[in-house]
Amino acid sequence: MNVSIRQEGLGWRILRNLILLIGIIIILGPMYLVVINSLKSLEEAGQGFFNLPRALDFSNYAELLSKGNYWRYVWNTTFITIGSIVMVLLINPTVAYAIARNRHKKYYNFVYLYILLGLFVPFQVIMLPLTKIMTNLSLLNPVGLILLYGALSLTRGVFLLVNYIEGMPMEIEEAARIDGCSTFQIYYSIILRLIMPMLVTLIIMDALWFWNDFMLPLLILNKSKEFWTLPLFQYNFKTEYSFNYTMAFTSYLMAMLPIIVVYAAGQKYIIAGLTEGAIKG
Amino acid sequence: MASKFLERSTYFLFTLPAVILYTLFFAYAVFVGIQYSFTDWNGISSGYNYVGFSNYVDLWNNPNFKQSLIVTGQYAIMLVAGVMILSLILALSLNSLKKLQTFAKSVYFLPAMISAVTISLIWDQLFVRVVPLIGEAFDIAAFYQSPLAHPKYALIAVVIVNIWQAVALPTLIFIAGLQSVPSELYEAGRIDGASTFNRFRYITFPFLIPTITVNMVLAIKAGITSFDYAYTLTGGGPVKSTNVIGIMIYNDAFQNLRFAMANAEAVILFVIIAVLSFVQIKLGRKGGVH
Repeated sequence: MNVSIRQEGLGWRILRNLILLIGIIIILGPMYLVVINSLKSLEEAGQGFFNLPRALDFSNYAELLSKGNYWRYVWNTTFITIGSIVMVLLINPTVAYAIARNRHKKYYNFVYLYILLGLFVPFQVIMLPLTKIMTNLSLLNPVGLILLYGALSLTRGVFLLVNYIEGMPMEIEEAARIDGCSTFQIYYSIILRLIMPMLVTLIIMDALWFWNDFMLPLLILNKSKEFWTLPLFQYNFKTEYSFNYTMAFTSYLMAMLPIIVVYAAGQKYIIAGLTEGAIKG
Repeated sequence: MASKFLERSTYFLFTLPAVILYTLFFAYAVFVGIQYSFTDWNGISSGYNYVGFSNYVDLWNNPNFKQSLIVTGQYAIMLVAGVMILSLILALSLNSLKKLQTFAKSVYFLPAMISAVTISLIWDQLFVRVVPLIGEAFDIAAFYQSPLAHPKYALIAVVIVNIWQAVALPTLIFIAGLQSVPSELYEAGRIDGASTFNRFRYITFPFLIPTITVNMVLAIKAGITSFDYAYTLTGGGPVKSTNVIGIMIYNDAFQNLRFAMANAEAVILFVIIAVLSFVQIKLGRKGGVH
């Protein structure tokens, strides 16, 4: 691989670096504008949108934190994301393990195909009935949303995990069984450990989905302000701040902040985890 | 005795929570949705009647629905083309980068971390505040106002915002695909005197076909079912120029009291996705290294 890199043409290297540089500007440019303008007053931003702020003025932040229920929305989003991940971990690997080891039996093969059919169903088909079902079950709340995410996580989870488990050697399991381990013990102390790389990938993908999702919270939680997640807070405040756009920029930054902090701390693992899933899946 | 029973049924018990949740919140919902599409329910009244295929017939004759399908098709084509070309170029560039590769990768993956709503609102501001400056500086009449306010440019503007985020994951998947190509093949190609383009065409590309299929399937589905960006940026306007099917379904169901009709629209979307996925899987099996 090193040889091939060294022999790449100079023209390609220049073009490549130029492309990557432009891309980085297009990605970081908007972020930069959000940060600098969130630190300005409306008047100052009007004088120079691209200028650095004259001073570090956090009054927009103070106002946002004092008036909105920012921490409430952070808590709601965190609660829903963590609760849903727990659901994913409870129901995805168990069913995938049962399917992977019993595919030759009719029932398990049926469950497999039944869940995979979900790959072809666009969300719009279920979204309208779901609002009715959830209303009838009095589940228009975070717990209802967590149950929904659990159910909807199954298509991707089963697809990735069954493939992964079927590619694993059976020897360890067989040895454990001869030693008298029950199926549950094998699952809990062997399988869960062996599928950890794929499970990590799945958790990252699902966590990003739960944290950033707009559509399901809009359908399930929008009516009750106390249940709002960060994306809902963002959406509902867009009119409130439409005339005070530096304030709007502050709210964008605050909405992104938790996930950016997580990303800054764990980007190496997040990217490696997702790449792993892309290869194995 | 009890423990023996438990041991024998462990696998079955393992499937139960998933099957119950999936049946209630997914399969049953699909079934009910299809059922609603054959009624005249407005979503609020206590009763409804079965009307056969009349919703589907109405949609067939509804110019707004056809317009929405066309807009959705344009949206999907632009999104797929943009995402596939950009993510492939970026993956090839990032993969051959020696210095700063980790840094560049984390910058390029950043957009995937942020919610579509926040991204849309940020770009909305950029379109309002930055585009007119460009328009005035270069005296381009089309750029005097935000492209989102212009029926001709709004759709492209929404798609650009969507692409800005949607490129991240396919790029990562392509990089993984590129790393699966054995480097000996490049060596052999070089010794045989193959040009850079031919090395890409005959060595890299066949290995990428499975990844291309995966990314295509995901991008097409994302394009056809898109909602978040257009809903936040334009709400479907101006003059319905960004009224993708996702927005039409949402508005018909929750604002226009055409709940049953919205279900029929969703069922048609379902059929379109199913047919496209089927065709893609067939095509994807044809070539490439697995």
